[in-house]
Amino acid sequence: MLSYLLLSGVTTGALYALVALGIVVVNKATGVINFAHGELFMFSGFIAWSLHVQMGVAYPLALPLAVAAGFALGALTDRIAFRPLIKADVISLVLATVGIAFVLRGVARIVWGGKGDYLSFPPITSPEPIMIGQIMVIPQQLAVLGGAILVMLLFAAFFRLTRAGKMMQATADNSKAATLVGIQTARIYTLSFGTGAAIAAAAAVLMAPLTLLYPDMGFAFFIKGFAAAVLGGLTSLPGAVLGGLSIGIIEALAGGYIHSSFIEVSAFIVIMFVLVVRPTGLLGFSRLRRV
Amino acid sequence: MLDIRHLKVAYGITEVLRDVSFQVPAGSIVALLGGNGSGKTTMLNTLTGLVRPVSGSITFEGAECAGLPPHGFVRRGICQVPQGREVWPSMSVNDNLELGAATRRDWAGIRSDLDEVYAMFPKLTVHRRRQAGSLSGGEQQMVAIGRALMARPRCLLMDEPSAGLAPAIVGDMVDTILALNRRGLTILLVEQNIGVAAAVAEYAHILQGGEIAFSGPAAGLIDNPAVLRSYLGR
Repeated sequence: MLSYLLLSGVTTGALYALVALGIVVVNKATGVINFAHGELFMFSGFIAWSLHVQMGVAYPLALPLAVAAGFALGALTDRIAFRPLIKADVISLVLATVGIAFVLRGVARIVWGGKGDYLSFPPITSPEPIMIGQIMVIPQQLAVLGGAILVMLLFAAFFRLTRAGKMMQATADNSKAATLVGIQTARIYTLSFGTGAAIAAAAAVLMAPLTLLYPDMGFAFFIKGFAAAVLGGLTSLPGAVLGGLSIGIIEALAGGYIHSSFIEVSAFIVIMFVLVVRPTGLLGFSRLRRV
Repeated sequence: MLDIRHLKVAYGITEVLRDVSFQVPAGSIVALLGGNGSGKTTMLNTLTGLVRPVSGSITFEGAECAGLPPHGFVRRGICQVPQGREVWPSMSVNDNLELGAATRRDWAGIRSDLDEVYAMFPKLTVHRRRQAGSLSGGEQQMVAIGRALMARPRCLLMDEPSAGLAPAIVGDMVDTILALNRRGLTILLVEQNIGVAAAVAEYAHILQGGEIAFSGPAAGLIDNPAVLRSYLGR
């Protein structure tokens, strides 16, 4: 029982970690929480569904295509809701992302909403559980976990090793200095929104075969990812991964040992607990914002 | 080389610079002095494209630069070493330096320039993998200068390079500025420390209330009590 709960907790936790990673990437660079992040996740999942189920594109190809679409949607979010408002206060910026969220949800309802309440994504592995030693494992879970780890490694390599990734780090660290060496920070913001959404898209496509898709799913995943990001400190990338895994495991254990209704509540409890006990999160640090 | 004529800069209706003109000849070190609120910082921000002038011209090597975005100034060859270093504290020294070449794509040239910066500041070679934020003030200043050099500028704008440094290191800073100049870099030095300015610059301009109030050889400044008292409040 415990090992099963832990494995499923780690699997969903890895997905939350990806959602949290996207939130943190955008927040680090721009100082804004993208409230459309959950909808970008949902929308990319549906794009993958259309590609895979409706058009018959193979799953390994549908995944990168949906990730590319996610990147484009994220970059579009920047152009519509961030760049024109860059001199506005944070509240306006956040509200603009909320607006984008509602538009995406509305479009998703029109396009994919009329086909039954939930759309199912065919499993990419055999749905039969297998036994590894004493542990019952659903192959799909392993595929999700492996995929999530691969996405994290790819992102870490991009962020730490490529010039574009380093420019993102520099802009997050000190945007004035970035401007002075000739980095075009407006482009870096676009890149950050795009990258954040691309990671969310990868999470959506990995998750899709495990659950069902519905147009209102975005907010639930956003809250889980946000809780994970808060737990990790909101600006720490390793913190986001740690936070995501923690929330996944807490949910699974709370659902298994207390009551299944605790699955949905536990993320909120974590947010409240972190904000009260350690507002800077596990790996966060209080940052003096220089203006 | 750098020719500023009738420059006027305003934030809203507040005029910060009115009709400022001065030249920085090729190969020279020129000092721009002034107290707080004199318009020094605005002058530098205009020369790096952070602020657009209302009117007037900034010509660099004969080409008009007023109104260019910041990366435009860097590409033309004007680069700033900002006040307070402004290194990227959580990134390595090496990454800090490499990103100084953000506007360049000549990878071989970037690599040889990086070697040259390490040769110039051997101390940085030892710390190349360390986070820039963990270095001392003097070492961070080396990172900031090295980072600006990586853009391969022909004119370097230095904003109070001596500010916040231990007095013992200020002498090293003076040597560094002179060494950069000997390599052919034209330098506009913005300073509050008249001692530093007098030690390196040939010529000095004093900004007061958004206008050039005094221009003359830098060496004479320190012996000119009237200038010091009336324009710098000492």
